[in-house]
Amino acid sequence: MCGIVGYIGRRDATPVLIQGLKRLEYRGYDSFGLATVGSAIEVYKKAGRISDGEAGAADLHGFTGIGHTRWATHGEPNDINAHPHMDCTGTIAVVHNGVIENYRELKRQLEGRGHTFRSETDTEVIAHLIEEHYEGDLLSAVNATLPHLKGSYAVLAIAEDTQRIVAARDASPLVLGVGDAEIFAASDMTPLLEYTERVIYLEDGDVADLTPGRFTIFHGGREVERPVELIDWCVEDTRKGGFAHYMLKEIYEQPLSFYETIRAGVNDKVQQMIMETDEITLVACGTSYHTALIFKYLAESLCCIPVRVEMGSEFKYFTPPLHGLAIAVSQSGETADTIAALKMAKARNCPTLAITNMPGSTVTRVADETLLMRAGPEIGVAATKSYTAQLAALMQILNVRCEGVFDEVLSHAHLAISDILLQETREAVALCAKAEHVFFVGRGAFYPVSMEGALKMKEISYVHAEGYAAGELKHGPFALLTAETPVVAICTPGPTYDVMASNIKEMKARKAPVIALGVAGDTELAEIVDIFIPIPNTHLLVQVLTASVALQLLAYHTACALQRDVDKPRNLAKSVTVE
Amino acid sequence: MMQAVILAAGEGSRLRPLTRSKPKAMLPVANRPIIEYVIDALLENGIRDIVVVVGYRKEEVIRHLNRLNAPIQVVVQERQLGTADALRAARPEITEDFLVLPGDNYINAESIARIKKEQNAMLVAEHPNPSNFGVVVIRNGFVREIIEKPEDAPTFTVSTGIYSFTPEIFSYLRTNEIPDALAAMIAAGRRIRAIPADDWQDAIYPWDLLKLNSRMLRGIAPEIGGTVDASVIRRGTVHIGAGTTVGPNTVIYGPVTIGNNCNIGSNCVIMPDVSIGDRVVLEPFTYVADSLMMSDVNIGSHSRIVSAVFGQGCILADHTTTYPSASFIEVGGRVQKEEFGAVLGEGVRAAPFTIFKNCIAGNSVTIEEGKTVIGLIEDGTRVM
Repeated sequence: MCGIVGYIGRRDATPVLIQGLKRLEYRGYDSFGLATVGSAIEVYKKAGRISDGEAGAADLHGFTGIGHTRWATHGEPNDINAHPHMDCTGTIAVVHNGVIENYRELKRQLEGRGHTFRSETDTEVIAHLIEEHYEGDLLSAVNATLPHLKGSYAVLAIAEDTQRIVAARDASPLVLGVGDAEIFAASDMTPLLEYTERVIYLEDGDVADLTPGRFTIFHGGREVERPVELIDWCVEDTRKGGFAHYMLKEIYEQPLSFYETIRAGVNDKVQQMIMETDEITLVACGTSYHTALIFKYLAESLCCIPVRVEMGSEFKYFTPPLHGLAIAVSQSGETADTIAALKMAKARNCPTLAITNMPGSTVTRVADETLLMRAGPEIGVAATKSYTAQLAALMQILNVRCEGVFDEVLSHAHLAISDILLQETREAVALCAKAEHVFFVGRGAFYPVSMEGALKMKEISYVHAEGYAAGELKHGPFALLTAETPVVAICTPGPTYDVMASNIKEMKARKAPVIALGVAGDTELAEIVDIFIPIPNTHLLVQVLTASVALQLLAYHTACALQRDVDKPRNLAKSVTVE
Repeated sequence: MMQAVILAAGEGSRLRPLTRSKPKAMLPVANRPIIEYVIDALLENGIRDIVVVVGYRKEEVIRHLNRLNAPIQVVVQERQLGTADALRAARPEITEDFLVLPGDNYINAESIARIKKEQNAMLVAEHPNPSNFGVVVIRNGFVREIIEKPEDAPTFTVSTGIYSFTPEIFSYLRTNEIPDALAAMIAAGRRIRAIPADDWQDAIYPWDLLKLNSRMLRGIAPEIGGTVDASVIRRGTVHIGAGTTVGPNTVIYGPVTIGNNCNIGSNCVIMPDVSIGDRVVLEPFTYVADSLMMSDVNIGSHSRIVSAVFGQGCILADHTTTYPSASFIEVGGRVQKEEFGAVLGEGVRAAPFTIFKNCIAGNSVTIEEGKTVIGLIEDGTRVM
């Protein structure tokens, strides 16, 4: 979590850094700060969000600078704990994304040697360590510091008497952007899009020395070449335009991102992997965990292959016996737990595949092969278009395994998604907005869809929501049903239709208001429920998509009705890069 | 610096079923939404401070505007009460003299040049069917009266809905329609100059889109993206988008524009005045002339598509025919007789050997095999 950005070149660094931090704000937004090198190091840092206008007060000088937006891990979010952190002399400043696991020990040693610490953060030890090794050469001081650090880091360091930034990464993301006589460094490529399309993805263990218009990358003390890659994302995709929220914009981008992901296809090597395995294990966290569960239901019923789904955070410590293809699903490609799990699978000689939205991200280097989703930058913290693009990638795997029987279904699926975007949800929103608890229920592949619906609802509207398999409701949660707890039930034609319909009647008998998602034209269902939301009557794969999108709209409009900060829900950050 | 307000909040209900997912201003002609032509005309005149009022299906409009390389402000009209109400929504953004333009009519840059210097003025045009418009009575070059959609029009001069105003207009916006404000201004002794437009086109009914389409196709730039087989015969101006493939022996006579990621089969014939959107599939041996297909349309082999407008996502099986003829159809409360083949809403599905004859089929209509369908068909109907 946390986002860092650095700039060195011909422009005033401050506006570039502030703009960059705004783009990175989805990674954390409880405090922010900047430091520049002019005639001396100038620092501005503050608790709060950079987009709340506080940044306007930052009036720093210099063409070289670093910035940070924080998601607190060590020390509460306040002005002092905000990055950048300085050494004792105030001549060295660092920003850091990651966790220094041995910082207590380092801090004790440094304090023993007379260093004074100002903050409670783990990062500050880096500044003091650099100070100890600094003899006029920032690069060698950083090089001497890194071996002391255990944990994960992407670090940018500046010193008062030199126009350079030294960047280092290990297990936290860092990309360089190469402009015209200017160099950028950032946690991901979104801050760079405005200035350059040429990026370099640093590898773990790389140290880069950045001076105006020049960069040198070292690995293990030796200079190395890293390829410059062209990015095809455009800066328009990172702008909110006329939309009220990024989330709404991203919800409306889903038909296209789904289509693009399908159109991009699956390369031969990945196809071979999919065909050769007789078992699939998926590791994922959060929303990705739900897409993985949907895949499990679909793959097991449609192509008879055993699929296991594990949460990244559990898998790392409680690794089950592994066999066959391991797939890591992560939008950012930086989810620490998922990456750790993928490494475990690799250590056990499983072929590994990454499904991610971020070309060049960590997960793509760990995995043998990558299947990219084509969602483009997703800024809203709640996953929407990356969720459907993930489903697109997973459905492609299904389609490959089934030798293309779903070609037709998948190539038209984006039309059904466009269709559901026209759906009116006002009545259902009114019901959810005044509720304290909402239950989401479904069966089969719609069980994880309802879990995702509940996750969206709670994360952005703060209405307590839980997703259940409809049959499980009677084993406990039924006790919670009252006339004030709406139930959102997904009930589509198929083997579970009848039992689902009788579940709904049972809920109605407890006076719970029921919002049902069913296929258009299902008048019987519409009659027994309070609010009926029709989804297009199409193939099961497409129903999964349209039902999910309908639930996104429900959560979004509920959050708006409750006047929540939809794009930046409290306490959350988009990519969880710490365990 | 002059500002401009483009009104793009209205649905354009007389163009149903085509307006299901987008307002009229977003309907594509020659593969560009109508509103883009309006924005172009403003930019060519150096008017860069543009406010667009959105309402009906606003997400579709905003998404498109975000992709344009122009600094456009968006304001939302919550309920579509009328043009004056839309203008009120834009009021907080207005600081200078400004133009008001409908986002759903074509206007050229020369017309804008004629009006942009004026303070209170409107563009007028001659139209053969004035009763669909506000008819303008002019005396000595100034507007004397505007009669909205009269049964018997005294002249053929109509309002284009394009005005030049000063911020003073806001004090005259008492009802929800701009013409009422004009009447109030005239009554208060203000003079409104009537200036003839150079080129202005409106599509009132779905079949009018075909005329507008062929008119706009005159302005397309030749470009061949994608993969075009060497045996393809091309004549006239042809635009083929990126990622599109055109199979062997296909004949394309321009002006024709084809979008991105389409798949045009072998031995197809595409005659002049055809626009094809993105991701369209034409199977082999299909003939298309004088038609407008929106994105994601699929047409089976051996089809003959003439004088047709297809909404997004229509899937028509092999041997589909659209047969131009003229019969009486009631649209928007008026009985019309117009010659065209077919107007299909979004997501129409037709089984093999369907014949559309002067037909307007609503959204999501399904037609079973071997039917001849004529006249108006409601949304969601299944023709068996």
